[in-house]
Amino acid sequence: MAFVQNFPFMSIILSLFSGPLSTVMDRKKAKIINTAVLLILTAMSAAVLVYVMGTGESYVYTMGHFPAPWGNEIRVGVLEAAMALFFCVIMLLCMLGGVLERELELEESKENLYYVMVNLLLCSLLALIYTNDLFTAYVFVEINTISACGLIMIKQNGRTIEAATRYMIMSLLGSGLLLLGICFLYDLTGHLLMSNIQQQVRILQETGAYHVPLLVSLGLMSIGLAIKSALFPFHTWLPDAYGYSTVSSAAILSSLVSKGYIFLLVKIFFRVIGFDIVKNSKVVNVLFVFGIAGMIMGSVSAIRENNIRRMIAYSSVAQIGYIYMGFGLGTTDSVVASIYHIVSHAATKSLLFVAASGITDASGDSTSFFDLTGAGYRNKLAGAAFTVGSLSMVGIPMFSGFISKLLFAQSALESVNKMLPTLIALAISTILNAVYFLKTVIRIYAPDRKLASEKHFRTITMADQPQKAAALILFIILNLALGLSSQPVIRLIRSGLSMFS
Amino acid sequence: MSGWILLPVFLPTIAGILLLVSSFREHLARTDGMPVFIEDKEVLGKLHQFTAIVLTVSVVLALLAALSGDRSVTLFYLMKDIPIYFHIDEVGRINAVFTSIVWLAACFYAFVYMEHEGEEKRFFGFYLLVYGMLMALDFSGNLVTLYFFYELVTLTSMPMVLHNGTREAIMAALKYLLYSMLGAYMGLFAIFFLYRYCDTLEFVPGGSLNPQLVSGHETILLIAVMSALIGFGVKAGMLPLHGWLPAAHPVAPAPASAVLSGIIVKAGVLSVIRVVYYMVGTEFLRGTWVQTAWMVLALLTVFMGSLMAYREKVFKKRLAYSTVSQVSYILFGLSAMTPAAMTGALLHTVFHAFIKTVLFLSAGAFIFRLGKTRVEEYTGVGKQMPGTLWCYTFASLALIGIPPASGFISKWYLAAGALDADIGVFRYLGPAVLLISALLTAGYLLPIVMKGFFPGEGFEISEKKEAAPAMLVPLAVIAALTILLGVLPGPLIHYMSRIAQALM
Repeated sequence: MAFVQNFPFMSIILSLFSGPLSTVMDRKKAKIINTAVLLILTAMSAAVLVYVMGTGESYVYTMGHFPAPWGNEIRVGVLEAAMALFFCVIMLLCMLGGVLERELELEESKENLYYVMVNLLLCSLLALIYTNDLFTAYVFVEINTISACGLIMIKQNGRTIEAATRYMIMSLLGSGLLLLGICFLYDLTGHLLMSNIQQQVRILQETGAYHVPLLVSLGLMSIGLAIKSALFPFHTWLPDAYGYSTVSSAAILSSLVSKGYIFLLVKIFFRVIGFDIVKNSKVVNVLFVFGIAGMIMGSVSAIRENNIRRMIAYSSVAQIGYIYMGFGLGTTDSVVASIYHIVSHAATKSLLFVAASGITDASGDSTSFFDLTGAGYRNKLAGAAFTVGSLSMVGIPMFSGFISKLLFAQSALESVNKMLPTLIALAISTILNAVYFLKTVIRIYAPDRKLASEKHFRTITMADQPQKAAALILFIILNLALGLSSQPVIRLIRSGLSMFS
Repeated sequence: MSGWILLPVFLPTIAGILLLVSSFREHLARTDGMPVFIEDKEVLGKLHQFTAIVLTVSVVLALLAALSGDRSVTLFYLMKDIPIYFHIDEVGRINAVFTSIVWLAACFYAFVYMEHEGEEKRFFGFYLLVYGMLMALDFSGNLVTLYFFYELVTLTSMPMVLHNGTREAIMAALKYLLYSMLGAYMGLFAIFFLYRYCDTLEFVPGGSLNPQLVSGHETILLIAVMSALIGFGVKAGMLPLHGWLPAAHPVAPAPASAVLSGIIVKAGVLSVIRVVYYMVGTEFLRGTWVQTAWMVLALLTVFMGSLMAYREKVFKKRLAYSTVSQVSYILFGLSAMTPAAMTGALLHTVFHAFIKTVLFLSAGAFIFRLGKTRVEEYTGVGKQMPGTLWCYTFASLALIGIPPASGFISKWYLAAGALDADIGVFRYLGPAVLLISALLTAGYLLPIVMKGFFPGEGFEISEKKEAAPAMLVPLAVIAALTILLGVLPGPLIHYMSRIAQALM
């Protein structure tokens, strides 16, 4: 066994234990440890990815030397390794972009708790990505929820407490449904390891036994994870949670937490139930309808919003809708499109949150549109970054959002019944996205002749906020790279998906 | 290696971006955020020099690239089997040449004109950027590349519309953006289907539709083509989505209106040509409901545009409606699908670009010198600014189609082509509508000439206020071209009809 094969397990454990370590450190040291751990995790995930791509096949890592049906397992393929790497990179950039806000907005004694939460969160995300055991996945889903709550609540004002409570209630409802689904499945198959369940499910499918319970279980798990990842109409917790928490929290929550659940759903579809069965069940149709409704309603809510942070949050609802619409189309190509959109949206949304914080910094910390006039001149880099993010969200060629739109539309052409609704929904949603994002872009570049001097807004250069500037530049590069050379990423996703089954 | 043909794309693009992000200050000392609007002449001079040099070099490179034969270059692969691919062919060549000439002339004009608009760095930055994007659009060799740069042209030209930053301008720019994006999306919708039913997304004269793949799916393909026609027709100002033109033009600075109306609407025409003649092919479309619907829309636009222009009192808005009408002449020629009509359409593309540039630039000169925006205020302008009005007069005659000016030639071919075509009642209806519209064109353009030169009794001749030579010279050069091309149209007609023959 190659040494690299230990890395997935080691990265989960490392981030799990660096959490408690941070509690006893002071804030400076905790920050350094956190950054170091993130860098190490990134390097390890990269090594794993290189290894798996080299061997060209996935491997199973048994923990504690208990053989298959009893022991716990980790399974690593190209897609898992790539996702882990991507999540680590985004996490690193989000943390980098929100350094200043954390210092300003968090109580001094609480800052190292923040790093605990971040480490726990990353640990649970990695576990969700790698694990081959459905129950382990459930456990880490809960850890994920709790640490996400911490991230929302840690900037203490009334709004965030309320938001965190809402998030907690909705999330627990979601994980309750997920647990119920897992219980059903355990009852039907007698297994918790994904590969074993799949064998049993195949047998059930061939004999035709327990058809309804299986469907119910699939439905429960899908809806549970849909609630947790804020699929319309279960999105009500989202705007407050993203809108009022500290920047890095909002960026992490929107780009990673919800995506972790979605990735788990992909695993359930492909590794637990089997995509053939999922495809032919009615569950995908339900996801399709909710996805399309989300694409449109999310954008409509975003248009009505006057607070830039909440607007970006509502746009997440729309983008999550895209991803579920891809699942709903029910072809391998459409799932590839969805996974690409997970990547593209994660890269873009975190960019937007960090850029928006740069813009509000230059507008007297106000998030209302009225004060943002001309902010693009006061903070040039943030303005440019926000523009890039907006164009990507709208789906302008050159940026990553365009590629996902292209992939969705291409895959839609293969399904006869869903083709027209998909293409029309894509068109409407594109226009709606353009309305609110470009309205904002124009607003921040509108010449502001009076306000600046009256309100004493700051002008911010790159040298004032070096960390944020670095994060923004890296985000922009990431976005352009995804938009201009999407081919390797798509190939990676395809080969990863083929390893799933 | 023919990679150098991309220099006219990259040079202005990079220069434009550099200019936009540079810390070039066109205003003197700003104190704590309160801008003091005193222009720094020396700095502005440098800005103009930079723009002029970059643009001139780019134009020379573009002409070299365009005239150096059929070259192609693949930049990179956007997705597997979809490259960003450039190929210079006849249609692209024509577009590149007239775009370059107009762009350069309007640029020199703008150096003077933009004085009273301010924010010159932003204007010229985007001006260079759009030129780069347009060259890429003209040189693009497959449909996805075309779409790619079509969107970027929309995006980069938007700041020129909202230039003065008033609420009205911003709303107009948003309208332009949303209309164009909706149109582009409808085009993209068609691209998905063409990707399926054509052998290749590269432009092949005559189309590359694969009959085996298509059989049984004709209806959906026809719907897709119609969607592309309406979608790309947005940029060309075709009904029902022509509304952005009259909104965007009055608020944009005159040079921006000129290139928007003369050049950027032609991006829509080029896209339509590419889809119809280089992807689908005329054989598939001839005689279908798509051709009929297209002709109806084009003719309706020709007529409605002229009528609206006739009733409009704001001068630049009137010219905008005139663009709506005139570009649909081109679309009608394309929809007839005969070599003669196609020749006429291509000729009108070129002539209209020059003519409309002159009209808008002279409108700008009137606004710049006299501050008059409404038609009825123009009484006696011929006494104050005779040079400008003469340029306007020549261009008007050309647009109406009075021989020997250029518009006559293109309209002749359009009408002749329509009469040749096997398109039922439209054979006669088409030329009739064109004729009525020409009368209306005379009706909305000539009163300004008449009132301008002959203000009537009781008008006091005030002092001369002729436009500065730097404005007048570009104007006169293009105006001369509109007449000259009409007097010596031989080579151009020959060239265009060869293209048209090859496509049918």
